[in-house]
Amino acid sequence: MGQEAIFDELVNAVLSFDSDKVVETTKKALAQGVDPVKIIEDGLAKALRIVGKKFEDGEYFLMHLVAAAEPVQKTIKELLEPEVVKRKGQRKTLGKVVLGTVAGDIHDIGKTIVGALLFAAGFEVFDIGKDVPTEQFVHKAKEVNADIVGASALLSTSLPMQHEIVKACEAEGIRNKVKLMFGGAPVTEEWVREIGGDGYAENAVEAVKVAKKLLKIQD
Amino acid sequence: MVQRGLKGGQLRLLTRKEARDIHLASLEVLEDVGMRSPSEKILGVFEEAGAEIDRKDRRVKIPQHLVEESLRKAPKEIVFCGRNPKHDLLLEDGRIYFGLGGTPVPYIRDVETGEIRRPTKKDMADATRVGDALPNIKFIMSIAGAFDVPYQAEYLHEFEVLFNNTEKPILYSCPGTYAAQKVLEMASTIVGGRDELKKKPILTLYAETVTPLAFSPTNENVIEFAKAGVPFTNGPMPMLGGTAPMTLSGAGVVSNAENLATLTLSQLVNPHAPVIYTCWATAMDPVTSRCSYGAPEFALGTSVLNATMANYYGLPSYGFGGCSDSKLPDAQAGAEVMMNSIMAGLCGVNLIHDCGYLAGGSIGSIEMAVICNEIIGMVSRIVKGIEVNDETLAVDVIRTVGPEGHFMSQKHTLKHLETELFFPKLFDRTSEVTWAKAGKKDVRDIAKEKAKKILKEHFPEPLPKDVQRQLAQTVKEVEKELLKKG
Repeated sequence: MGQEAIFDELVNAVLSFDSDKVVETTKKALAQGVDPVKIIEDGLAKALRIVGKKFEDGEYFLMHLVAAAEPVQKTIKELLEPEVVKRKGQRKTLGKVVLGTVAGDIHDIGKTIVGALLFAAGFEVFDIGKDVPTEQFVHKAKEVNADIVGASALLSTSLPMQHEIVKACEAEGIRNKVKLMFGGAPVTEEWVREIGGDGYAENAVEAVKVAKKLLKIQD
Repeated sequence: MVQRGLKGGQLRLLTRKEARDIHLASLEVLEDVGMRSPSEKILGVFEEAGAEIDRKDRRVKIPQHLVEESLRKAPKEIVFCGRNPKHDLLLEDGRIYFGLGGTPVPYIRDVETGEIRRPTKKDMADATRVGDALPNIKFIMSIAGAFDVPYQAEYLHEFEVLFNNTEKPILYSCPGTYAAQKVLEMASTIVGGRDELKKKPILTLYAETVTPLAFSPTNENVIEFAKAGVPFTNGPMPMLGGTAPMTLSGAGVVSNAENLATLTLSQLVNPHAPVIYTCWATAMDPVTSRCSYGAPEFALGTSVLNATMANYYGLPSYGFGGCSDSKLPDAQAGAEVMMNSIMAGLCGVNLIHDCGYLAGGSIGSIEMAVICNEIIGMVSRIVKGIEVNDETLAVDVIRTVGPEGHFMSQKHTLKHLETELFFPKLFDRTSEVTWAKAGKKDVRDIAKEKAKKILKEHFPEPLPKDVQRQLAQTVKEVEKELLKKG
């Protein structure tokens, strides 16, 4: 069987929103000796890009984004990353993004969708979870030499933590190295400008465009 | 394939006993007070059936046995057809369908300029095309009269517009014997003969008795439609404290009596002739004397009374929704339209008409019709209600997700997403930021854009050229004939 066929199969597995099917097809591809980096790039990530496009076109909804992203993320973490490490391979990346929900806030669905679509677009994403203390954003950014730090806040009371992240990056001397992106329901473009951030997006599809723009990556 | 509309009828504010009380009161009125009829033809039908006629007062007193027998004969289920069968509607048991407009409207709100002006035949054609395009509009009446033709032949011209510009079922008026015969002739031309028309009624007649308790000579059209076996409906509009008692149930008695009388007339002419029932009580605004289409009593009178009595008799029904007293498609219009539409839907009125009516039926608005289409979508979702069974209770899904999880990626979620939610096509749910970026548009502007797009793009399947010619010829002949009469 040609490799094209297995990539189509991977894409279809993701688009069927069936977690078991994604795992099975990935195992099948590995058994056929397909490069795990290619499984990600030409199979799973490609499928997520399709889902993102369909969301943008109004054909899919948020639930589809999550239902496609979750099995992909799980499969990559559990099956593909170990293989990539074993083979000393590496996915070509557009840049490194540290992503999390700010301290005092446990809303992480939106942030996770953003992470999935950034990943699908070709970014390396370090999702550091929810209710993340400010210093951890800075710490992780330094550790991985991040190009972008993204922080999500869903509450008016957790919104000020985004400002804290800007201040912490300045204090730690990395402000000129990283672009800061902020999102979440109460966040606006004005707010991001006011606190000295670099980018704002209203949804995950938009976030990918903003991230690319910040890093001057051509589409 | 005939459309089986969503079933309303969940809202029952009156009991079966109360319906019976209204029925008995109506029988008493028909037997003791009766109906006046300047039409000898109508009196003749009742006389032949054994009713008591007072020629001096031109009054017929209708015995209850005639009414009861007629009620038993009238069909309980009617298929109201479009000239394209995909638009056929099954009228029975609380299935709801919304329709564009009503009888001809004297003014139209120009969709381009917002100016309120006299409508023309072209305006009516445009409005009809928009109604034909809107998916939640299931049958067609008018939101613009043809005011640029001789008034004597107005209805024939309007029927010509309707036949040419929609494939959906048509409900409309044509007063008197001659006009009714001519309209039936036009409809027969389209479907291929009288017998075909009986099998495939692409129109329903809208007759109106004169409240309180009088036939008008124009009601002879009922005799023609009954004979042809084509459905008719009679829609008198008794106004509380004006042409009817001040009380809703009293007005209901007057309305019901007139409708039972008309139903009886039709069954005497042709047993089992199809009748679409109404029982309407409307509110006369005590300051302006105008019939208020946005009044809560109007919604109670035309939906609750109407559906209760239609259900009691087991007959298909015809009522109101989508209409307002406001002069603009504004907040008042939105509130009134939602109120009367949701009442009609929840009560389970079969044919719900007047979508796009403003100023209590004085102004037609295409933008408002587009907004009504959206409101009908919301109303339909409410009427659909909440389904409770093992699948929808979803205990297994709740178990799988557990505390602090989310349901977004569950198969159950994707399976039910598109049937459980209403998806707005017009109303804006975006953030204030996105809305501002898109030009801070009012829903009226969006409706206007949509209306203009439909007008540019939507054209129903035209009738065959020879049929078009024949219809135009009939209208011309009728016009000549009626102008001669003056």
